[in-house]
Amino acid sequence: MKVLVVEDERGLAESITDYMTKEEYICETAATFREADEKIHLYQYDCIIVDLTLPDGSGLHLIQTLKQLVATTGIIIISARNSLEDKLKGLEIGSDDYLTKPFHLSELNARVKSLLRRRQFGGHNELRFHEITVVPHARRVYVNEQLTTLSRKEYDLLLYFLSNTDVVLTKASIAEHLWGDNIDSADSFDMVYSHIKNLRRKLLDKGAADYVQSVYGIGYKFGSL
Amino acid sequence: MKLLNKANYIYLLFSLVIYLLSALAFYQVTRFLIYDEVESRLRVEKRDFEAYVRTHHDWSSSPYFVENKIVVTPVSQRTQPPPEAFSDTLILNRYDNELIPFRQLTFYEPVDGVMHRVAIRKSLIQTYRLLEAITATMVLFLGMLLLGTFWFQSRLSGRLWQPFYDTLATIKRFDLSSTLPLQLPQPAITEFSELNDVLRKMADKMQHDYHSLKEFTENASHEMQTPLALINAKVEQLIQTEQLTATQTHWIDSIYEASRRIARLNQGLLLLAKIENHQFIDVHPVNLSAELRQRLLDMDEVLLHKQIRVSEEPGADFQVLLPPFLAESLLSNLVSNAIRHNHPGGFIQVRSSASQLQLCNSGPSLHTAPESLFQRFRKEGNSHESVGLGLAIVRQICDTYHLMVTYQYAEGLHTLTLAGRE
Repeated sequence: MKVLVVEDERGLAESITDYMTKEEYICETAATFREADEKIHLYQYDCIIVDLTLPDGSGLHLIQTLKQLVATTGIIIISARNSLEDKLKGLEIGSDDYLTKPFHLSELNARVKSLLRRRQFGGHNELRFHEITVVPHARRVYVNEQLTTLSRKEYDLLLYFLSNTDVVLTKASIAEHLWGDNIDSADSFDMVYSHIKNLRRKLLDKGAADYVQSVYGIGYKFGSL
Repeated sequence: MKLLNKANYIYLLFSLVIYLLSALAFYQVTRFLIYDEVESRLRVEKRDFEAYVRTHHDWSSSPYFVENKIVVTPVSQRTQPPPEAFSDTLILNRYDNELIPFRQLTFYEPVDGVMHRVAIRKSLIQTYRLLEAITATMVLFLGMLLLGTFWFQSRLSGRLWQPFYDTLATIKRFDLSSTLPLQLPQPAITEFSELNDVLRKMADKMQHDYHSLKEFTENASHEMQTPLALINAKVEQLIQTEQLTATQTHWIDSIYEASRRIARLNQGLLLLAKIENHQFIDVHPVNLSAELRQRLLDMDEVLLHKQIRVSEEPGADFQVLLPPFLAESLLSNLVSNAIRHNHPGGFIQVRSSASQLQLCNSGPSLHTAPESLFQRFRKEGNSHESVGLGLAIVRQICDTYHLMVTYQYAEGLHTLTLAGRE
């Protein structure tokens, strides 16, 4: 999978690339409009992550160009602008998703994965993690081939974990993924805790190993032991 | 009071005083001249009298005639005779039975060795008539002049000031937030032309400042979001490190929490600035009651978690005109507020009618003054969750879109009421 990150803030581009590389994506970066424009003309990407405000041009123009070149490339906008018009405009010209800065790397990663899944298999693929299998288009979860009933939030939580295995996810990022940023963190952290507790219990009941670890109160990690 | 009326009023008052004073002065001057004339004639007659008496050593005249009468009466000689003196006197006209004014010169003269008092009179009746005629004419003409100039003045100044009123009307219609510059005519009068030039320059400057400030606020906020994204990203990478100790993780968590708060604060301030700048223009009819119900449904998990019961009194729906994005922001701030300042096991009540929407919640009483509740950065308690902008945003939305929000507290029940503004 090839991903292009178009972001003029070097440090941020670097962080995204590092995070993505761990997920075994091939990541390239472009810091300017010209550089990005050149790259999309030369190479093919499965997904590009575009900042709208670039020093020498608008990310929107880049998306328009890309849509004419390769219509299948997934596009995710990352922008400091949190206005409805910008979001609508972005989606209108063909981007698939819109993330407002500051965002969580884990959230970006989950969105990229979900986008690629939809793009490449029409959503008809399965996610496997040891004995756990998730069928996204049917929203079903199997543990050791046994159907496990999860609540909506528990399912979302599991999918988020499976998109970000072996990394520490902060409580805030989980809470925002599940509820958006309209609720107080104190409440949402408690609720995250109880959802994780329930999910873990349900998975353990079906004979899965305990993959969820709490990391010093800052967050949780879902991964191989 | 309008400028022109005020000017005319002052002008009228001033000219009236001047006219009265000049009329008085004119009267006095005329009177003085007439008296002077009469008195000099009386003196001439006195000289005639003296000359006559010196030659004839006698005086006789009939006391019958009133006019030009010389009255001679002997007086005792013991006292020193007083000097000659003029006086006004009235004498009855025996035919008309009318009192007629006379000027009289009284002096003492020895006639044939005996001291006599001599009084010579002259009638003032003609001169009085003259004075009256002159005064009347003057009053009439001065009055006409006064009214005429007053009328002319008001007409003229109305016309002279017309460019000023035009300018005033144009400025009143001027919209700072529009991109159209202020269009003012170039009047022929230098002062007005200068005024318009200055106003045009000021308006251009204001417009420019307004737009650059607007841009600045937005750009500053946007520019802040990127470094915050960087901090978040680095924190997320940092916590992946295996060798972190519990203390280090705690520090990182604090940094993370602080950066998230700045991000929320920044977004709140940006939203406030945008509402203030009237950047949301596409208003739509919104059923706030239905939206509020939906909002509470969305929050059911939190409500359940905090064991807060929600009840609604049946009533008509409250409809308003709002940009949809702001309607959502308004309600989510109100709901968050009702949940945050509630206590576990508390309740939220919704009362809706066609004219207002009330959201009541149980909760501890306020520590701060209720009036300051809608101010920015006003926080109840030491909550780290809140950045203190929620109700300020609610107030700003209401102020900008013709709504009114009020707060009441009674018996442990906080009530926020949204209503239309007349």
